Amino acid sequence: MTARRFYTPKDGGTDYDRIADPGTYPFTRGRLRPPDGWIQRELSGEGSPRRSNEQLRMLLAHGAHGVDVIGDNPTMSVMDPDHPMSVPAVGTTGVSLCRKQDFLELLDGIPLDRITLSHSLPAAFALAGQYLAGRESGLQPAVLRGSAIQPPLYAEDCSYSTFLPFRLRMRLALDSIAFSLREMPRFHAFLEDTYYISDGGLDVVEEMSLGLLEIREVSRRLIARGLPVDAFAPRIAILVNCRMDLFEEIAKIRATRRLYARMMREEFGAVDPRSWSVNIAVHTSGLSLTAAQPANNIVRGAVQALAMAMAGVQGLEISTFDEPFRTPSAVAHQLAIRTQQIIQAETGVGAVEDPLGGSWYLESLTDDLERRIDEAVRRMEALGDVDTLVENGYFRGIFTNAMDRHSTSVQDGRLRIVGVNEHVVPPESDRLLRDVAEERFPPDLAHVERIRSWRPTRADGPLQENLADVRRAAADPEADLMAPLLAALDADATFGEIAGCLREGQGLPADPFEYAGAHR
Amino acid sequence: MTPPRPGRFVIGTLGLDQHEVGAMAISQILVRHGYEVIYLGRFNTPHRLAAVAEQEDADVIGVSVHSWEFTAYADELVRRCRDLGIGLVFGGSVLTDADQADLLARGADAAFGAYRAEADMLRQIDAVVQRVRAGTMAPAAPDPGPAPLAGRVVVVTGAARGLGRAYTLELCRQGAAVVANDIDEAALKETVDATRGTAGSACPAVHDVTDPATPRALLDTALRRYGQVHGLVANAGVLRSGPVLRLADDDLRLLLDVHVTAPFRLLRTFGAYWRAEAKAGRAVPAAAVLTTSAAGLYGFRAEAAYSASKAAVAMLTRVAADELGRYGTTVNAIAPAARTRLTDWLPAGPGGGDDPWAPEHVAPIVAALLGPDAREINGRVVEVGNQQLSVPGTWRPGPPHALPPGLSATDAGALLSRAFREAGDPLPVLGT
Repeated sequence: MTARRFYTPKDGGTDYDRIADPGTYPFTRGRLRPPDGWIQRELSGEGSPRRSNEQLRMLLAHGAHGVDVIGDNPTMSVMDPDHPMSVPAVGTTGVSLCRKQDFLELLDGIPLDRITLSHSLPAAFALAGQYLAGRESGLQPAVLRGSAIQPPLYAEDCSYSTFLPFRLRMRLALDSIAFSLREMPRFHAFLEDTYYISDGGLDVVEEMSLGLLEIREVSRRLIARGLPVDAFAPRIAILVNCRMDLFEEIAKIRATRRLYARMMREEFGAVDPRSWSVNIAVHTSGLSLTAAQPANNIVRGAVQALAMAMAGVQGLEISTFDEPFRTPSAVAHQLAIRTQQIIQAETGVGAVEDPLGGSWYLESLTDDLERRIDEAVRRMEALGDVDTLVENGYFRGIFTNAMDRHSTSVQDGRLRIVGVNEHVVPPESDRLLRDVAEERFPPDLAHVERIRSWRPTRADGPLQENLADVRRAAADPEADLMAPLLAALDADATFGEIAGCLREGQGLPADPFEYAGAHR
Repeated sequence: MTPPRPGRFVIGTLGLDQHEVGAMAISQILVRHGYEVIYLGRFNTPHRLAAVAEQEDADVIGVSVHSWEFTAYADELVRRCRDLGIGLVFGGSVLTDADQADLLARGADAAFGAYRAEADMLRQIDAVVQRVRAGTMAPAAPDPGPAPLAGRVVVVTGAARGLGRAYTLELCRQGAAVVANDIDEAALKETVDATRGTAGSACPAVHDVTDPATPRALLDTALRRYGQVHGLVANAGVLRSGPVLRLADDDLRLLLDVHVTAPFRLLRTFGAYWRAEAKAGRAVPAAAVLTTSAAGLYGFRAEAAYSASKAAVAMLTRVAADELGRYGTTVNAIAPAARTRLTDWLPAGPGGGDDPWAPEHVAPIVAALLGPDAREINGRVVEVGNQQLSVPGTWRPGPPHALPPGLSATDAGALLSRAFREAGDPLPVLGT
């Protein structure tokens, strides 16, 4: 977006009814936050559940308010660690989770009634796991807080494929949201994660229009099931990206709040004000970080976090400086939490809501983005029903083009990146923090062995009965998937087995790879 | 419009690598420059990439790596590409300079890291395509066989020469990552260089094993570089010969420092790490192999101090095995017989694989002691070399004799005679 050299009152910021006070419709300026500002958390998870549990404890000991747990690649694909395709990747980029016991170990001693637990995990499975872990520690599910990413439209096309057909993915999303609303009313059962769809190179308009499109689609389907909009809208949250064009990112959040409020009130008929103001959390962009001169990433994370604190987000995670290389090291985790704490405790930016509100530039940018995001949503909805768009690869095309656009603009220097296409230094003088950043965590083969040797120790009768229930439910388009999924996990079925039965119920092979035949 | 270049690519990511940003970006670049691209997206096996490449008569398989662990598939891909006589190119922003060098050493034809300049990439890719078209790709390497120690990290001391070098090469052949320690930097480098092209890898760590800080430094190197450590081979040894009446204090001290104190300290440091891992619920299937000697088991003429130091290792093995076995660590010792700098008195052999005294023959046994099939073996000594392997007996109590109180001088003498008559004669010391 090209900005002019300066802005004047003619450009925006004069119609205060469109902006309004923080905490009032249309919520341009967000909600009034509690005195401690935003929820400070960091993405975590590495190796076995026990090892990740130590990571969570360390982060909480350093003052994090919540945790965001990400699975390793097999877990994100609901595949078990002992699947031949999984083995090289077990625990390397997140925690390995595939059974009830894993959740008990992951969350052992974590005060689930006092902190928020965000799942960057397959939502229905993680909700079931958290529910069972809460039950184990004697907690009422009603006290559980946190969020679960629901990506039924885009997951297969940009990352974290679960190898499930769209219809099943949508059913899992709707059933798990309904389950969470019923059982875990303080939990954000529907986290629209525009971070992960956009960090391949989407611009802010693409990011938020796709996000709002998915929120609208899921909301319509929930309403069609007979859920009143005010029953679920307050439990929707958005996790957005934050790149380096800071004013654009702040304006994007303000525009999204306004679009969301209007959509909920005007289109979906929500009457509860809590349904109008969306909870927005942010994960700073990993794509904006560089493998060259990794220490520079600390600076990037800090300015992004500062901008997001001023944008009035409800939760904040910084992509750590070693992100171009690995999931966060302990040092990087601590630096990211300290960055948030310095901003929160020392700068005072959280003391006033929307401190940049009224800036002619920011208000003009907010208006402009609001219009463009809205137009993009309308344009996509005019193309037809989303099932067809998903199946025809329409969204995949958007992601592909964005990736190419990003890499081209870095190559030709239109997107300026210090250390990459300017101010480059030779490798021998690029040493600062490099050793820490390049340290690696090898696959946790001991955990693979643990799962392998545990498998035959399970009681087979109840296990097979519960898996048959999952298969039957998957075959019946009217059936609820969440109850049989929860029961199967409780009976020591694994993610891979449950996902296999979901596929079989749809007439698909249980193993998406049928690896044994393909290998060698 | 760019004129078409002769070059057809099969492009995709490997295994469960979830992100295809790089694969898409490089495909677009190639297409813009007139190459043909068959895009396979995510979740490929080496088998699938090679099958499509063969079917489509492609020149090059291009693999995008978004998460480094998927380079684990490189060896299989190299084999398949060599079989097909086509090129193999890796790219990915996570590939560090060391990764790129590693992939090239393993047989990839090109490897690119973050934001490599387009012109440079295309120049290298063109060169690969030209070699494929000219039929001058390297021939298929022989199948290196199974890699039973893939994913295991082993520290070997005294790795520069002799047995330590043979162990390092064998462990790497079997897929292990070896932290190779020695005091001789130049010879160590030569050993590490010789591991190139194996299924495993080695990194040199130059330290003196008699330095108290060395065990910690070696553990740190293993953890920093590989994240875990599964095995320890305390192999470093010296020979200082001399009868009891002539061996100088300095020689005595060196023998005890290198053979007893150094492995003791290594066990203390590595054992503590493995115990901590076990207590944290991450038990490592760890194994330590110490080095004793026939001299330590039976004695060797005129090598009293050497023999005593090696006997100490045998007993250290037993007691440490008892202690560390509780945390899942095995401790065994090997008594090797091989031609090394310490045994230059052995009869000259034909050399190479025909030499019954070649250290290479001992190495597979050490590798097996570190492997998954030897978890039940703990606290034992195994003698290996000169075409045989045996498990020597350990000290056992002899038949007991009653010891009455207030034994007279005559009775004591008689009791001793009777006991030794029944016990039989010991083996003579070796070298007699």
